[in-house]
Amino acid sequence: MPQTTIYVAPSLGPPDNPPPAVATVELARLFGRSAALAGVSLRVEPGCAIALLGPNGAGKTTLLRILSTAIRPTFGSAEVDGLDVARHGDLVRTRVAYLSHSSGLYDDLTAAENLRFAATMLGVPRDETERRITEALEEVALRTNGAQRVAGFSAGMRKRLALARLLLSPHSLLLLDEPHAALDEDGMRLVDDLIRRWREVGITVLVASHAADRLRPMVDGSVRLDGGLVAEVSGSGVSLNPVGNALTEPMMAAAGQ
Amino acid sequence: MNGFRQTAGVALTIARKDALAELRGKHAATSTLFFAAIVLLLFGFALGPDSRRLQEAAPGLLWLAIVFAGLLAVGRLHLIETQDAALEQLALYPIDRRAIYAGKALSGLAAMLVLGIVLLGAVAILYGIDLAGAWPALAATLLLGCIGFAAVGTFYAGVTVRMAAREVMLPLLMLPVIAPLLLAAVKATATALGGDPFGELGAWLQLLAGYDIVMLIAGAGTYGFLLEE
Repeated sequence: MPQTTIYVAPSLGPPDNPPPAVATVELARLFGRSAALAGVSLRVEPGCAIALLGPNGAGKTTLLRILSTAIRPTFGSAEVDGLDVARHGDLVRTRVAYLSHSSGLYDDLTAAENLRFAATMLGVPRDETERRITEALEEVALRTNGAQRVAGFSAGMRKRLALARLLLSPHSLLLLDEPHAALDEDGMRLVDDLIRRWREVGITVLVASHAADRLRPMVDGSVRLDGGLVAEVSGSGVSLNPVGNALTEPMMAAAGQ
Repeated sequence: MNGFRQTAGVALTIARKDALAELRGKHAATSTLFFAAIVLLLFGFALGPDSRRLQEAAPGLLWLAIVFAGLLAVGRLHLIETQDAALEQLALYPIDRRAIYAGKALSGLAAMLVLGIVLLGAVAILYGIDLAGAWPALAATLLLGCIGFAAVGTFYAGVTVRMAAREVMLPLLMLPVIAPLLLAAVKATATALGGDPFGELGAWLQLLAGYDIVMLIAGAGTYGFLLEE
């Protein structure tokens, strides 16, 4: 199987003591009066692959969206590579990529045009753009579909193309929300392989999934969320952030819970 | 300088992407143009067959048709971003968010200029107006009016794009804000068509330019906040 180059964002901080890839302190997010996250304090070490597990509504997607800077926390704080996501969102976005449930693709553009657009937005050097697009399309087995409009793509092909977008530029943290969803067995193996390779080169990967058994061989540790709170932390590379719980009670009171 | 070039490059790429998507979804662009032409035709029916009356009302009718069709056009340019959460993806790229505003405003301006040029031609034909001699002033009015409309329209399309009732909310929020633009554009067009006997065209164009600058600065400064939840 052809393997594209994996680009890694340079680490921040001293090499012998880098900041945690993710550090959250009593992180909470309300939607109306409902708390999607109700005070999550976690620390993820750089270069680890961590599974985010839990039932629907546990807060997995909300956590990933906050870390990606798509939404702001209501209470508490979250840092990526030592950068606060609320205050330094512009810097965080240079290091993080988020694979969401939606592909974020444009139907009227072809697969290659979508990647070309993404490459410009990601600041990929112009003289490297075409090579990286070709490699990325090949990696996700869409090379022959590059000239096709995305409107005609199946859900699985969209997911593959969204994965290809992650391969265009350097990252230090990848946030994958149900990356296996909509993919056939080949596609799921592709995701597994990419998670392994990202981890091998030192990229931190957070994977929200219901497929705990599938992820187990690829991840260092896992976090189980339930009702917006951490229910269990296991394995290595992830731990409860020792910072106190002072914010939890007022936040829960505000949420009416 | 490097930062400015990068921002300009991103803005142009976004505008090009919008243009490509719009041209490929031809039916939407064509429908907007037909809608604008029908509005002009209906105005003509409403005012009756008196050609002098039509010619006097032409500047106002032209700009009302541009505004109505423009509302559809700028709204549609943001609807492209609602496909499969493309707007959220756009907001996650490591780019200056003013570049996103500039890109969307540029594509809005291009759509408005096409609309404006077609409608100006339609007004000339339908209402029997001679544009010869007035075209430099009309071009300046059209350009400045469309810049202002695109600046305001891009901001409010961003405000309403996530709303369920966006088709209603966009005109509701935007029309009061563009009232000064509409007034200045109608007056400048009427003055240009009338040969500018009192030399007031420059003042109306200055008002349009001032409005454009204020709205562009305000839009670029605040649009980024609309991308965050």
